[in-house]
Amino acid sequence: MCSACGFPAAPGHWTDAGAQTPADRLRLRFIRLAAVNRLLLRFGLKAHDDGVTPGLQLFSPTGARELVPDLESLWAAAARMAGQPIDPLSPRALADG
Amino acid sequence: MPGAPRSDGRLPLIVLGGFLGAGKSTWLRHQLHEGRLARHHILVNEAAETPVDNLLLGGAARITVLAGGCACCDGLPALIAALRDICDAASGAEAGQIDGLLLETSGLADPGAMAAGLAADPVLARRLVVAETLVLVDALHGAAQLAAEPLARAQVEAADEIIIAKPVAAGPVTVGRLASTLRQMNPAASISVAEQGLPLPLPTDEGPPFDLPPLTEAPPIRAYRLEVGQRGAGEATDGWVALSTWLSALLHARGDDVVRVKGVVRTPAGRLLLQSVRRVVQPPEILPDDDSALAGPAPEEGTIVLIGRNIDAATLARSWQVFGA
Repeated sequence: MCSACGFPAAPGHWTDAGAQTPADRLRLRFIRLAAVNRLLLRFGLKAHDDGVTPGLQLFSPTGARELVPDLESLWAAAARMAGQPIDPLSPRALADG
Repeated sequence: MPGAPRSDGRLPLIVLGGFLGAGKSTWLRHQLHEGRLARHHILVNEAAETPVDNLLLGGAARITVLAGGCACCDGLPALIAALRDICDAASGAEAGQIDGLLLETSGLADPGAMAAGLAADPVLARRLVVAETLVLVDALHGAAQLAAEPLARAQVEAADEIIIAKPVAAGPVTVGRLASTLRQMNPAASISVAEQGLPLPLPTDEGPPFDLPPLTEAPPIRAYRLEVGQRGAGEATDGWVALSTWLSALLHARGDDVVRVKGVVRTPAGRLLLQSVRRVVQPPEILPDDDSALAGPAPEEGTIVLIGRNIDAATLARSWQVFGA
């Protein structure tokens, strides 16, 4: 943590564990994007990650967009955009198609 | 009890919890008398303004008393300030003099809420790690407390290790039934018995659990096993990403229902020990691949235990099928 500005506020999000080499980290980001979108799609949202910009970019069909640093903030922002929690156990997430 | 220093330099914090009068100080006093925890800094939190517990703990080398405010809510800023001071001292001239910290909570504290507060502090998140949550349950009054007090249940649910205190006065039948009640509430925790801090064997015949009436209509907490699969080295990233993405969404949406998650998962960085209390996931620890280097039995790789309420087992399995597998 930078002692002057206090950033980042917490040591990496737990979902970023599991990859130690730069190549693994990049692989993890891209595979994760697909997994994130599989769930977000059910709520009409989409995330984008170009592999360079830190964090993910979240888009709603109405044009709203938000940059989020980690998955925790992603689910919070997505719940705001969708107007309901992004619950993987909800009927909406598990609906066919 | 964790002894060896951690490779990441963080100090292990043992949280000692339990309901009012459960016997926390008595248990701790015996551990200190036996010379255990001699190199730990002891923090005692009391909800009342007048501290007395520290008088019981003469054996402690270093002790800090935080009186007047339970550390899981009102007293949290005071606790964080005290922990920061200890961490600062432990990295300065006095480096290496303490092996860890032990926090004796007030009887009103929810260890889960306190762990969440500590994990949210940007300084302490790097300096401390909650190594273990011990919860004492009074054998005499435990059943009544569990029946009536949501707090007593929250404490038991948050425990890694449950110690039943005052077994001699309660008798083996009560202790056995209490043990089986506790096991039903928190199947992941280990349960032991201690009289005045001295370990005693668990009764062999445990008997039926006590009936716990629903509080505010909360459904019972149940444990769910989820096979997240054994994957080969080439697929480790896929498996971990699917699990961490799905689990982070689940905890975000249902953090109040999913009380605890535990498991060991294969990732490209090695085996990760994953555990959470409510919404707070501990930074995953990398386990050595050599099982003989670990204390106790080898972990079961590829199985996650979810402990929570309001979850339908079939829906959970289906959701993992759709988004994880």
